[in-house]
Amino acid sequence: MDGLFKSINISASGMSAERFRLNVISQNLANSDTTRTENGDPYRRKIVTFQEVLNGEIGKQKTDFGGVKVSSIEEDTTPFKLVYNPDHPDSNEEGYVRMPNVNVLNEMVDMMTAQRAYDSNAAVVNAAKSMYNSALNIGK
Amino acid sequence: MIDKINGIQNISGVNKANPTQKANDSSNVDFSNMLKEAINDVNNLQKSADKAAVDYSTGKINDVHQVVIAAEKASLSLQLTSQVTNKIIESYKEIMRMQL
Repeated sequence: MDGLFKSINISASGMSAERFRLNVISQNLANSDTTRTENGDPYRRKIVTFQEVLNGEIGKQKTDFGGVKVSSIEEDTTPFKLVYNPDHPDSNEEGYVRMPNVNVLNEMVDMMTAQRAYDSNAAVVNAAKSMYNSALNIGK
Repeated sequence: MIDKINGIQNISGVNKANPTQKANDSSNVDFSNMLKEAINDVNNLQKSADKAAVDYSTGKINDVHQVVIAAEKASLSLQLTSQVTNKIIESYKEIMRMQL
């Protein structure tokens, strides 16, 4: 399907990508107090990276846009926060607990960004739809 | 779908009967075949919309927007088909009203 349906498909891929980003953000927020993971460390903040998708043969049709896809989920390498809490089961000998490097405020801002990006993709779908409808209205 | 519309334009160009250009086979697309293909495309879109709805309800798709978009595509292409059909019937009626 070419034409206006293609822009709808591209926006749909953007919406899927943003939905996935929201999954990662909710994972970060849900684990913002997780001090113990499988490898023994506290939870590390996950970052999702996106990649452009181009259909068609490489080097030939660069304008055959295919939208966006999630390319990888990376881990934030910033150091863990140290919180003094000797009663905590995961505290070390000095009484400090390593807390996840998740900043709740940053996650909230990322969440709003993902939400707005999802909205803008939905707006593109609606615009394509109304363009298609006005093309159909020529015949009426 | 848009390609198919271009096909209609090609035919109306042929109908202008340019005397310097005789029956060019490559541009002479059979209209019924073209219509059949277009209707098949629409049918496929309807089927994929149905499939998306089933896949969503059975949990294979977890994106709501994909279901809605598939349904929307099917509806738009069906509208286009009905427009084209209306046009064809209109021209048929126009010809039938012709006084001989």
